[in-house]
Amino acid sequence: MSERPSLWWIDWRLSRGPLVQETIGRFLFFCLLGFALLSLLLSGGVSRILADRYAITAMLRSEVPSSEAEGLARKAAALPPVRSATYRDPEAAWEEFLRAYPGLGPVRGAGENPLPGYIEIRIRPDRLTGADVDLVVSSLRSVPLIEHVLAGEVWLPRLLRAGRLASRACWGIFGAFLACFFLVGRLQERARAVALAGDFSFLAERGVPSGRLAFFRAAGAAVSGFLLAAAGTAAGGGALFLFLRMFPFLEGVVGPPSDLLLPRTVAAAALFSCGAALLSAAASVLGWRAARPGRK
Amino acid sequence: MTRILSVLLAAAVSLCILFPAASPGARDVAGELRKERGRLLEMKEREEKTTRELTEALRKEKLSKGRVGELQERLKRQRSLLSRIDRKVSTLNERLERAEKAVRQLEAAHGQARTGLHRAEVVAFVGQRAGAGDPWYPSARERERHFMRVYLAADAEGVARITRARERKEEERYGLERQVAVTERKMAREKKVGDTLLSRQEKERQRLADIGREKKRKVKELKSLRAKIARMESVVSRVERQVKERERRARKAAPGGSAARGPAEAPRRFASLSGGLSAPLAGKVVTRFGRQHDTTFDVTIENRGVEIEAPSGASVKSIGRGEVAFAGAVSGFGNVLIVQHGGGLFSVYGRMETFLVKQGEAVKKGTVVGRLQGSPSGKSVLYLELRAGGTAIDPTSVIPLDS
Repeated sequence: MSERPSLWWIDWRLSRGPLVQETIGRFLFFCLLGFALLSLLLSGGVSRILADRYAITAMLRSEVPSSEAEGLARKAAALPPVRSATYRDPEAAWEEFLRAYPGLGPVRGAGENPLPGYIEIRIRPDRLTGADVDLVVSSLRSVPLIEHVLAGEVWLPRLLRAGRLASRACWGIFGAFLACFFLVGRLQERARAVALAGDFSFLAERGVPSGRLAFFRAAGAAVSGFLLAAAGTAAGGGALFLFLRMFPFLEGVVGPPSDLLLPRTVAAAALFSCGAALLSAAASVLGWRAARPGRK
Repeated sequence: MTRILSVLLAAAVSLCILFPAASPGARDVAGELRKERGRLLEMKEREEKTTRELTEALRKEKLSKGRVGELQERLKRQRSLLSRIDRKVSTLNERLERAEKAVRQLEAAHGQARTGLHRAEVVAFVGQRAGAGDPWYPSARERERHFMRVYLAADAEGVARITRARERKEEERYGLERQVAVTERKMAREKKVGDTLLSRQEKERQRLADIGREKKRKVKELKSLRAKIARMESVVSRVERQVKERERRARKAAPGGSAARGPAEAPRRFASLSGGLSAPLAGKVVTRFGRQHDTTFDVTIENRGVEIEAPSGASVKSIGRGEVAFAGAVSGFGNVLIVQHGGGLFSVYGRMETFLVKQGEAVKKGTVVGRLQGSPSGKSVLYLELRAGGTAIDPTSVIPLDS
């Protein structure tokens, strides 16, 4: 009887009950991480929020007709960093001004509107950088129909720096959660290795090398980690999709639901699943080693 | 009075006719006649004086009328000027009212604009304070601040524009006020001139009325004197007839009656006077015979003789053969010499200074009978009157005179 027993899913066969609980917990955790990952991917940290709040305003000269202004807006929208360019006529500018300063309505009365029309230009979230903003501003300033360009030169660097810090903080939090997952997984693997130490000693006495046993345990953990991460990310993505459909105003913070199916998002999710598999394998190996006799 | 004199004269003449006998009586009558003639001549002189005074009064009246007319013309112009000034003042006042209204409107607009600007500044301040540092919509805030700057600049420009317009209107109003003041001063001055002219016109009218009254008085006096002259002419004619009658009787009383035949046969026309006629002196006729109308004073004077201008002191010669009938002073004509040529023909020489013949002396044609008066200008005039049958005739029609 020289037949060797298969070591795949050895833990599942030796300790099914606790492992089911661990698997469910990991799935839920991956759901949360997948939701967070996809939100961060779509929003770019706080870039989408900043891009939604920031706009370049090109003040037109008072004598520019509407047709020329709209043509100019279309040309501005064609610039690579520009997400949208909208022309607002003087009346719209005056209404906006009155909304901002409602006390001036009765003062002005039937007087002439002194405000000019303008073009509001919004930048793509992924192109909201100083260089791209300078590119757009310099392009606009060269147009003779434009009298003045308001691009927040004073406060924009501070805003971008704060955005970068906020994005890093978000990603840091995400990384911390991932690290927690790793540590918890290592502890669970160690605990299970300790619990199954008698079984593993019996196998070792029957000629099963401990290295081989550890390898198959790690491989099983990797496969299960990949599958759990992929399933959790998909479930998180689905939840995010439903969430964004339920609360459309969040699109300004996170992004449109359609971006979930972009290849780069899917690739990022796959990469995350691979990373989860590696982390699961590493946690299994480290837990095995920690549970070995003489390493208490 | 003159009627009484006429009655007396008629009575005297009647007496002379009824009682022509004694020569002393005749001499008395002749003396009375001379006295009467002298008085009549004096009356004639008074009449001439009155005529001269009346002429002077007429001249003054005309001058005064001219002055009144001139004053009226000036007054009319003055009134026209005053009405023009009045119209100008009215126009200026209307413009002034319009300017003041515009200034008031601009002041109201200026106040409103300034209030609006202050309120906008307050709103801007409050709004910027409230929205300062808003991190959620920085671009919108930046745009609103820019709008507020544009708004404030437009408001400030509007206030400045209204201020400039108000200043311009104020200047215009001051200019109009000055113009009105100048025009009113001018109007006051012109009114003063008008008052002066009115006062002068009133004075001239009073003066004209005085002259008119004087003229009426003189006309009345002239009328009276002319009546006296007429009566004097009548008396003279009668005296002439008396003289003729006396001569006729003297010729009848004289033996043979040859002495009186000469004058009785004398021609009754100057043209048929024996020996012919010659000019009394060389000179120019300056006053013509007959009715002459003076356009200057609008009076008509009837000349019974002519006036011949000649150097002062020139010799006056008899125009024909005859006898000196009269040589004496006559009022208004100076020394007068009357030569009787017979046949009812007489020549009268007036304004003479000296006589070189005596009354009753026979003269021939060309006999120097006297000299003209002297005058500072070196020119004098001789009055020459020719009478035929008691009627004055034009001397230039019978004597060649330079006219």
